[in-house]
Amino acid sequence: MASSTTANSATAAPSNPAGKALTIGIVGIVLTILGIFVSGGDKVAFAWLTAMTFWTGLAIGMLMLIMIHHIVDANWSTVIRRQFEHGIAAFKWLALLFVPLIVASIIEPSILWKYFDPSFDLSRVGGHGTVASDVLWQKKSGLLSFEFFMVLTTISFGGWMLLSNRFRRCSFSQDMDGDIKWTRKSRFWSAIGLPFMAVTLSLCVILWVKALDYHWFSTMFGVWYFAECVRGALAVGVLMMCWLTTRGDYQGVLTKNHWYSIGMLSFAFTVFWAYVTFSQYFLIWNANIPEETFWYNIREIQNSSGEPNQWKWVGMLLLFGHFFVPFFGLISYPAKISKWWMKLMASWIILIILIDIIYNVWPSKKDSLGDPIAFAGLHMIWTLTAVIGVGGICAWAYFKSFPTAKLIPIRDPRIGESLTYHE
Amino acid sequence: MAASTHGLIATFDTAADIYHAAEKVRDAGFTNWDCITPCPVHGLDGAMGVKRSKVPRISLAGGITGFITGMSMIYFTGAVDYPLIVGGKPLFSPMFAFPVAYELTILFTAFATIGGMLILNGLPMHYHPVLKTDHIHRGLDDKFLIVIESSDPNYDSAKALLESAGGTEITEIES
Repeated sequence: MASSTTANSATAAPSNPAGKALTIGIVGIVLTILGIFVSGGDKVAFAWLTAMTFWTGLAIGMLMLIMIHHIVDANWSTVIRRQFEHGIAAFKWLALLFVPLIVASIIEPSILWKYFDPSFDLSRVGGHGTVASDVLWQKKSGLLSFEFFMVLTTISFGGWMLLSNRFRRCSFSQDMDGDIKWTRKSRFWSAIGLPFMAVTLSLCVILWVKALDYHWFSTMFGVWYFAECVRGALAVGVLMMCWLTTRGDYQGVLTKNHWYSIGMLSFAFTVFWAYVTFSQYFLIWNANIPEETFWYNIREIQNSSGEPNQWKWVGMLLLFGHFFVPFFGLISYPAKISKWWMKLMASWIILIILIDIIYNVWPSKKDSLGDPIAFAGLHMIWTLTAVIGVGGICAWAYFKSFPTAKLIPIRDPRIGESLTYHE
Repeated sequence: MAASTHGLIATFDTAADIYHAAEKVRDAGFTNWDCITPCPVHGLDGAMGVKRSKVPRISLAGGITGFITGMSMIYFTGAVDYPLIVGGKPLFSPMFAFPVAYELTILFTAFATIGGMLILNGLPMHYHPVLKTDHIHRGLDDKFLIVIESSDPNYDSAKALLESAGGTEITEIES
């Protein structure tokens, strides 16, 4: 008893890495800005878009997990839901960090999204004519315009911030008064939020990433991003559980059944990701029509020479690293309840998701022969600094929110079931 | 012991009683015994020292068999038995064999899981000596039962152990 009291008082004011995260974030952002002078604004814009797609995806995944938790009235995840509620505090900062992309596009409309500039000369990226004379743009111009982009991005970030604010408020208020109405409100917002998220996250990733090569068609792209978001959020959840177990907060709170459950979900979404990604590839491979296959072609061979390029090996890495490694790594029960193994798997999944986002964003940066920029190069340094910069800000938002509420939602009606949860 | 005896059955009143009794029986080193409860008792598998099921291994074997079956079936039909070029595609590619292989993976995993569960549980079983006792009626309603089978090496000390663990109405079961 005495020793546990000492342990509690020792953890009463534990170290909170919020300041460290903010410093890392600012250093990352400053280094990325320096990159403009080294590699040029266009490459840094692609790097920044990669980082934004990655981190916004993780935040979207956390928001989706919270809403799924409420809508299915889940019990086991109550003890870890609070960590996701801290995580989604990042949305307002992500909205702010998205502004540079808009500003860059106003200064130079074709810097990222060629469809912002109908007079853009497509021969600069291996095509011919201008965007305005391109029939595939004409037919898609209702969706692919600067105006629609702005409206969509504003509504999406606005909605995500609103939902994030509602769920945080409902959950934190319930800690104070234990009123059941907060649970009902959360469920209400989940019912509205889930379809809203399905539409906004799909459209956003279509306009932000897929439309970098606006010729392309894929009906799986929105679902692919959803799978990526939730896998990433689950992996971040595992890392948060590891951190709080090591720090002592979750000692005696988490049981092997919680580890098993989050491991099962991670496994399920691994299979779901593979299903969606394979379907996208398979349908395009089978139909074999040029306005779809070119997207995979430039990710395997040079447009000008037909020689294999570096993206081929990145694709192979994704096939094995994004599916087979986590699939066999998470399949067995002992693997799911082993903390160090789950930590390793979660870290790997987050890294490979970043590579997947890079694989989807960067090859759209083409030269006048239509060849994609190589995978390896100085531009990957700016991608890394941008990811660290935006990530530092997101981590800071989490750590800043962390001490403002209790570790677990202590007066949630399902908290008892969650603490004694048995598979 | 007498061949005509299946084992000993003891009655407990609450889930907590049987939980602690099970821990005692487990710690005394018994192997051929079981608990009969009218409702699931969380954690009883741990108290009994039951190891995790071996069914997942059978499922994995079934899944791998299904995947290989699917791939080789499409290879045989498309590239060996009736080679026919469709849509300019190769005679065999893992791409179009994948949906079939994937479905068969799921199907064979399901068969292996159900079959493995039935075999490892010794099912279907139409008769069990415990059904002959009167205890079983309360055991399916509101009492908790422990059965120690006479085939257990420690069977001689079973009665004393069940008594000390708080069991009542300790009776021999006819085999």
